[in-house]
Amino acid sequence: MCGIAGRILGRPGTVGADLVAMMEAMVHRGGDSTGFALYGERRDDGYIVRVVGDDRRRLSADLETFLGVLRDCGGDFLEDPTWDDTGQRHVSVRMIVSPPRVDLADWVARADAIGGFQIQSVGRSLEIVKDVGTAQEVAAKHRVATFVGTHGIANARMATESKVSPTASHPFWARPFPDVAIVHNGQLTNYFLLKDRLTRKGYRFLTENDSELIAVWISDQMAKGHDLESALERSLRALDGVFTYLITTADRLGMAKDRWAIKPLAAVEDGPDLAIATEEQAVRKVYPGEVAVQTFDGPDQTATWAVGMVEVMR
Amino acid sequence: MTAVAYVEVGDRPIKAVNDDIRAAIAAGNEVVVTNTLSRHNLGIGLPDGAKVRFEGSVGYYCGGLNNGAHIEITRDAGWGLGEAMAAGEILVQGYVGMSAGASMRGGLIHIRGDAGPRCGVAMKGGDIIVEGRIGYLSGFMAHAGRIIALGGAGDACADSLWGGEVWVAGPIASLGVDTKVVEPEPAEVEAVEKLLASRGLDDAGRDWKKIVSAQKLWYFDSRDSRAWLMI
Repeated sequence: MCGIAGRILGRPGTVGADLVAMMEAMVHRGGDSTGFALYGERRDDGYIVRVVGDDRRRLSADLETFLGVLRDCGGDFLEDPTWDDTGQRHVSVRMIVSPPRVDLADWVARADAIGGFQIQSVGRSLEIVKDVGTAQEVAAKHRVATFVGTHGIANARMATESKVSPTASHPFWARPFPDVAIVHNGQLTNYFLLKDRLTRKGYRFLTENDSELIAVWISDQMAKGHDLESALERSLRALDGVFTYLITTADRLGMAKDRWAIKPLAAVEDGPDLAIATEEQAVRKVYPGEVAVQTFDGPDQTATWAVGMVEVMR
Repeated sequence: MTAVAYVEVGDRPIKAVNDDIRAAIAAGNEVVVTNTLSRHNLGIGLPDGAKVRFEGSVGYYCGGLNNGAHIEITRDAGWGLGEAMAAGEILVQGYVGMSAGASMRGGLIHIRGDAGPRCGVAMKGGDIIVEGRIGYLSGFMAHAGRIIALGGAGDACADSLWGGEVWVAGPIASLGVDTKVVEPEPAEVEAVEKLLASRGLDDAGRDWKKIVSAQKLWYFDSRDSRAWLMI
């Protein structure tokens, strides 16, 4: 089933709190895991890296190994890493790193090969925070509601196709494209075919989740020169199965819905702001008044929204 | 004069809201439900003779299992409006999402705006009037009853219709599999127009297309398997 949501604010604001409120309204759609892809202030000096470590007891050793590889690639920590203090076995780590001198994909591949740490996102402004548990549990643990930023997407997952773990939760990062994230409601039936094709092109996947594939597939289309609109449009025929997904980049949010029209989506556009979610009642959490709601009930639909229209128009 | 009772939705548990609606009906009131916030499962299984108005937009399954109540929604409704209703009437002033009247057995759903995909899916009786357009796959696998659309129809109209009728005035994007457009009998047109007139929708100039099952899918024959494919 799953519930997904997205939010754009014309000026940086309470994007974390808004997404938490929307996800709390859709807890019944999935409580296996919950996650948020949040876009804060852009860092020109480096990347924000979000990592999940398997074993808190090995944290300092894993951090040392990770830093060693980063330094080998010409990068470094710009700030001391921070992590959650819950005492659970798995540990969520946030790092700020200077750009490696090698290609970002090469560094990510080397970092992935270490083991123990799984990179969840890399971006100038993107941070993916995700964990097992309901919207309330995950939001409280990671203090998501305090996050200030311009846009973001979120997912409440009812797992059907792959395991339940922090790493297997949505959103997924489009490895290794910085600042691209996806949330997806549905399931693909040509997952293995497309994954094989992308793997042969050198892409690597952290999970066996079909949604991660969509993020990489769209990013690959964009790397080939398609803009986001055209990549979304092409996905309607390239992806087989049931899907309504939201994808975010550093400055855009897009949606696509399959030809069968099975998974719902509703949105409110309010000047430069946008609230979009599987269920209208979630959107109404941030727009409690009577507002014009745009529904995406029909088949074969795509749409995109720009982030920061206020800045552009000024 | 019947007294009016007000029930607030807001963030309250839906069961408490529905219990309040039922209690107000049992006490002989007409009920006005406020601050609906597009919440789901409002007004389920309401009894014969009740009058309930939802002020605002409602979420999924509003008016489901209706047993004869007259229900009005002043804005939009979400998916599964009036699912499996047996009797009564649901009037929606705005747009209605997917699967309006799914599996309904009787009564009337009247939608002033457009209806989303799969309007009347698997319906087994009753009438659905849509003043706007019905969406993709409307009437899908319906067994009985009538869907009447005044503003045209989307793709795959009446796909895999088993029984029942889909009446469309206005353009049809495409017909679904195993359908045929037939010339309606004058008495049938009269019955449809009379129903519409009773809703204040008089118009003698409509160009009706009546769509029924071509009945080729009633008996599966592997040699006809192509007829089942819609892609």
